[in-house]
Amino acid sequence: MIDDIDLDRLGDVWRQQPDPAEMARLRKTAAIVSRRARWGQLFDVVAAVAVAAVVIYLALSNPSRGTLGVSAILILILLWTQQRQRRLRAIEIKKLTGTSEEMLDQSLEQAEAVLKRTRSQLLFSPPAFVFGLALAALADRESADRLWEHISSIGSGQPIAVIALAWLPAFILYSLMKIRSQRRQVERLAALRDAYRAERDANIEDLPQADV
Amino acid sequence: MATSTVGANGEKPPPFERIVAEHGPLISRIAMSYEADPGLREDLTQQIFLAVWQALPSYRADASLKTFIARIAQNRAISFVAKQVRLPPTAEMPEIIEDDRPSPEQNAIEADERSILLEATRRLPLPQREVIILVLEGFDYSEIADMLEIAPNALALRLSRAKAALKAMLERGG
Repeated sequence: MIDDIDLDRLGDVWRQQPDPAEMARLRKTAAIVSRRARWGQLFDVVAAVAVAAVVIYLALSNPSRGTLGVSAILILILLWTQQRQRRLRAIEIKKLTGTSEEMLDQSLEQAEAVLKRTRSQLLFSPPAFVFGLALAALADRESADRLWEHISSIGSGQPIAVIALAWLPAFILYSLMKIRSQRRQVERLAALRDAYRAERDANIEDLPQADV
Repeated sequence: MATSTVGANGEKPPPFERIVAEHGPLISRIAMSYEADPGLREDLTQQIFLAVWQALPSYRADASLKTFIARIAQNRAISFVAKQVRLPPTAEMPEIIEDDRPSPEQNAIEADERSILLEATRRLPLPQREVIILVLEGFDYSEIADMLEIAPNALALRLSRAKAALKAMLERGG
């Protein structure tokens, strides 16, 4: 039976310095991580500049109203993407540097948003797929007949038709699996957040007698 | 209580390499106390290093750098554990921890003690584990209360519960 635990002494045991081999391994891991992160950052900048340069080149080489309009839209999308990435990074940093409870609240919020989005995608994508086919058939009866011929000849060397038809069940299956795992994730995060709240709201009566 | 050599006076954070040299062991211990599986622990350690690297430009020196890093490491570790589908392992491989002190017998005793402490800590509920790790890492109570953004009496309460739980775990032999 341990009388009481001496946290100062346990702290000394806990804070033993790692051996040189372990320290070398840590340094190596950190070096790999920071190198990857720097390259990632550089790649993001280079990719954004390259896309912007291509768009500007295409607009200037064929300066019609349509090209300029499309180029302006592409540049706006590019700027919006950059801005969004910056905002997401800021949210992530806030999450990392806040309290654990705040971090769990934000993680839970994000997990619930992903769950909601996946459910909506599952709900709307199959009807949208069928609606798209129906719309194509209405717009051009001839091409709809051709599409039907393609679909009818599945199995006799029409890989595009096979892929097109396999997409729908594959998407539904993938979405169902994602919903299941995301729901579990939400449950785990909610349980953890509740554990933190319970700890915060604990009363003095909950203490073991020896500690009161 | 251990203190950081950099931080609190408004100076800029040192280069990442120096942070790893000074605070790498802290990061490693935090990763160890949240993940027993060596492969997953390596993954968690990488994630913590990346998080520190990303968050470093936002460091404002309103707390010590050690506090800043410990907070990031704990948050990343909690988030990592929360995302794991499996439950925390109940039977773990004992850690073999060496050190460079002169007596091998003493080393063995301390390594064994540390191994038991580590295993006991891993079995604590996350809110209690968080506070025990910060105490074992040498943060003083006011720093911990600031870090967790709780009142000192709430911290005292949580720490008492955590100590009682740790004691029970240690009595069970980790």
